[in-house]
Amino acid sequence: MIQAILVFNNHGKPRLVRFYQRFPEEIQQQIVRETFHLVLKRDDNICNFLEGGSLIGGSDYKLIYRHYATLYFVFCVDSSESELGILDLIQVFVETLDKCFENVCELDLIFHMDKVHYILQEVVMGGMVLETNMNEIVAQMEAQSRLEKSEGGLSAAPARAVSAVKNINLPEIPRNINIGDLNIKVPNLSQFV
Amino acid sequence: MEAVNLLSSNKYTEKQIGYLFISVLVNSNSELIRLINNAIKNDLASRNPTFMCLALHCIANVGSREMGEAFAADIPRILVAGDSMDSVKQSAALCLLRLYKASPDLVPMGEWTARVVHLLNDQHMGVVTAAVSLITCLCKKNPDDFKTCISLAVSRLSRIVSSASTDLQDYTYYFVPAPWLSVKLLRLLQCYPPPEDAAVKGRLVECLETVLNKAQEPPKSKKVQHSNAKNAILFETISLIIHYDSEPNLLVRACNQLGQFLQHRETNLRYLALESMCTLASSEFSHEAVKTHIDTVINALKTERDVSVRQRAADLLYAMCDRSNAKQIVSEMLRYLETADYAIREEIVLKVAILAEKYAVDYSWYVDTILNLIRIAGDYVSEEVWYRVLQIVTNRDDVQGYAAKTVFEALQAPACHENMVKVGGYILGEFGNLIAGDPRSSPPVQFSLLHSKFHLCSVATRALLLSTYIKFINLFPETKATIQGVLRAGSQLRNADVELQQRAVEYLTLSSVASTDVLATVLEEMPPFPERESSILAKLKRKKGPGAASSLDDGRRDASSNDINGGVEPTPSTVSTPSPSADLLGLRAAPPPAAATAPASAGNLLVDVFSDGPAAQPSLGPTPEEAFLSELEPPAPESPMGLLADPAPASDPGPEDIGPPIPEADELLNKFVCKNNGVLFENQLLQIGVKSEFRQNLGRMYLFYGNKTSVQFQNFSPTVVHPGDLQTQLAVQTKRVAAQVDGGAQVQQVLNIECLRDFLTPPLLSLRFRYGGAPQSLTLKLPVTINKFFQPTEMAAQDFFQRWKQLSLPLQEAQKIFKANHPMDAEVTKAKLLGFGSALLDNVDPNPENFVGAGIIQTKALQVGCLLRLEPNAQAQMYRLTLRTSKEPVSRHLCELLAQQF
Repeated sequence: MIQAILVFNNHGKPRLVRFYQRFPEEIQQQIVRETFHLVLKRDDNICNFLEGGSLIGGSDYKLIYRHYATLYFVFCVDSSESELGILDLIQVFVETLDKCFENVCELDLIFHMDKVHYILQEVVMGGMVLETNMNEIVAQMEAQSRLEKSEGGLSAAPARAVSAVKNINLPEIPRNINIGDLNIKVPNLSQFV
Repeated sequence: MEAVNLLSSNKYTEKQIGYLFISVLVNSNSELIRLINNAIKNDLASRNPTFMCLALHCIANVGSREMGEAFAADIPRILVAGDSMDSVKQSAALCLLRLYKASPDLVPMGEWTARVVHLLNDQHMGVVTAAVSLITCLCKKNPDDFKTCISLAVSRLSRIVSSASTDLQDYTYYFVPAPWLSVKLLRLLQCYPPPEDAAVKGRLVECLETVLNKAQEPPKSKKVQHSNAKNAILFETISLIIHYDSEPNLLVRACNQLGQFLQHRETNLRYLALESMCTLASSEFSHEAVKTHIDTVINALKTERDVSVRQRAADLLYAMCDRSNAKQIVSEMLRYLETADYAIREEIVLKVAILAEKYAVDYSWYVDTILNLIRIAGDYVSEEVWYRVLQIVTNRDDVQGYAAKTVFEALQAPACHENMVKVGGYILGEFGNLIAGDPRSSPPVQFSLLHSKFHLCSVATRALLLSTYIKFINLFPETKATIQGVLRAGSQLRNADVELQQRAVEYLTLSSVASTDVLATVLEEMPPFPERESSILAKLKRKKGPGAASSLDDGRRDASSNDINGGVEPTPSTVSTPSPSADLLGLRAAPPPAAATAPASAGNLLVDVFSDGPAAQPSLGPTPEEAFLSELEPPAPESPMGLLADPAPASDPGPEDIGPPIPEADELLNKFVCKNNGVLFENQLLQIGVKSEFRQNLGRMYLFYGNKTSVQFQNFSPTVVHPGDLQTQLAVQTKRVAAQVDGGAQVQQVLNIECLRDFLTPPLLSLRFRYGGAPQSLTLKLPVTINKFFQPTEMAAQDFFQRWKQLSLPLQEAQKIFKANHPMDAEVTKAKLLGFGSALLDNVDPNPENFVGAGIIQTKALQVGCLLRLEPNAQAQMYRLTLRTSKEPVSRHLCELLAQQF
């Protein structure tokens, strides 16, 4: 079973944090920090597996990670998963992101948090591998966006705003949006109900 | 709240964002959960597959108990319904799996299980993958229900393995057909023993061979993903082969394949190869084959740049070690230790210590190795390691001289580790005389060497060194003046540390007051330690899994640490203030060895003699003397019963007129189910303390009778009685105690216990004495219960479930559901279960809250295997306890005993 999926950049800024076991908020942050330090000090050409940090179950869990350009994708799994299998799963996840966003980059993860979560949801569900077929996942995502379009308006508005911001090319990227922006969205949405 | 509103919306986007919010952010806020559950229920009931999927995802992602309670019954229905869409089935399977993992008791087994197995034949590969995950988890609990899946899985696997890379279009990943599904299927097969059906087995072996063959083919793509996927299957195949452990041919092929990977340039593959080889090394067929790779592995340990790989290499070396290569491996590991990462040093130290002990051919090598270990990594040498070396040196005469010489040399290094000083101090104190002949290590040299380290050491070490000094006084009288000077120095006598001060004062007095003979007796060489399981091994186990070690070890460790001083401390009181009984002995010219070995009990005997009064007086000659002395000897095992009804004084009541046990006896007994030492009984007159130890089917119990009054007890006679047919089940040998217990005094009685077969009722202890002329009698239950003869057993989850299954007759199981009488604390429960005697097994029960234990009850006639499971329910403050043993009455009895403890 997959315990947690962490994506952070080379500076340790979390870009996607998904825990499949409940941890209190501050522990989650500590885990991210600890994992980052474990992964950071490793060269690129040594192996992709290491034993989990003390916070996340120690040697019972393995961290399996891949480093893509500016981002680290780290999966924390228990012994019931095949290491190479998870390594491939990371690849599938990233390739899927790539297909959905066309040349995915760190910014996509920041500005399309929701979409990234939806894609992840299609790949991993509650800590279990759901779908490994890239075409299937992409098809699901396309179906979703068709549905969204047909219902129109709602998500288009924030998306437009986001792309506008993206074009301005802000010098400083807002930090850790993942929780903040969802909270902002929800009150906005209420008027539609 | 807004999010819940969103859930009930009919628009997809709104629903979706609502679910996302909940699965990412919601914690178990009870009020909200109810509303959410409602919305989910509606969505599950809707026929819209997208909504159903969303709802299932949400359940899986939250995975809380409340959700489990609400939906556990619905999901199996959705899973096997004929009209469910593929994607819904897929989600439902995983959702069920998630709920099952979170709370296994909630998911009902039923007729759907058979249909789940048939999902393996589903057209859609995604559904099959999800179903395999589900079955793999479920079948660990109920292997029989899912047995049919083996043949289905094998045929599915063979179809995938033999298919061309283009057949399974979508599920082909970099030219490898359905790698995830193959891996999952191979994992599933690892839950079962090799298939019995020859045809199925043949097909499976064929598959495995095909996979091994494919590994030799040239890769179809240069991409790393291609080789990853291929090797994922390969590694899983190899672990299946190792799991079956029955095809020597395949095993050797697997080993060769791994050997190739050991030199592969992909670090990941080297890592995995080392890991798989570790398990391979434990198989008898391939152990030799693994050993051929020793040089590569050692090389990996030396040159690998990656710490995780190096650690695996060290693990493998540990696994492949045997008598033939122990020296090489241990020396390599020692060399590695100098450069090893700090995080894994302690583990390596433990491993080296264990290997050195286990495979030591000559003990001088062992001593060398451990001393090297302390020199190289003194900080990481835990106490267990150096206790152990002391135990071994003390127990083996042939290495004592060598050990003394070696530590002496090691201590000469200008900077040596404190642990080295401890070992050195102890060994020289015990066996320094063996090297005193050499002028280079004459007593004064030894002393000044040790004393030069004294000021740099911690209090514990200094205390130990003080004990060494007093032993030196005994061994080498010529050092007496110097040492007394040291002890007398203000820095010792007025040391701020109480322990040091006390020792200095006591030792100084002892050395000046006592005669040489007394000194020699007090400071005699330590007797050999009883053989026991290496405490180091226990420590390593504990490092691997926190629950694996028993609390017993702590007790043992303390005992061995006290031995160093304990041997000295208590004795002075008996010897330096000679008791009247010792004088009497002297008068009557009793053989001195008896006085030295058991002064206390000899004294009691003498009192006995006089209390018998005139009748005994005339026969004071040497013959009865010897008779009495022979009684001092441990009773011969052949006649346990004879001794029980032994030549007791005439006033001794026969077993017939034993009163019923006092009312609170049961309650008192319960206190001792999970512990061995404590106060058994106490009233205004008397206190009875118990100290006991049990090993296999034997036990020894010390009873301490303390007279709390100031008046002497007369005709004091404790007897052990076996009610009913206990006589045939339990043999208890008692030693007689003095008939008088002085006011404020304590007498000790030793009971040797042997468990002949399983028993249900504890033996009774009947106590009679006269207090101030009034006869008193008291009957207690002795704290000897069947669980005392528990031998903890470690086993892996698979073994456990296999055995659990084997004991499935309804009579073999005893179950009890009961309210908690004490606060429910996991640590306390753990300690109780360990005290109960069973091993605690981690990672067996999918629910980490539950406790699972295993052990064997050892009796002379038979052994009874026991498995137990305790499921606490914190909300209801209830426990459910299930016991399965091979004997029906034992299950019930243990269950009742244990249930009263929580």
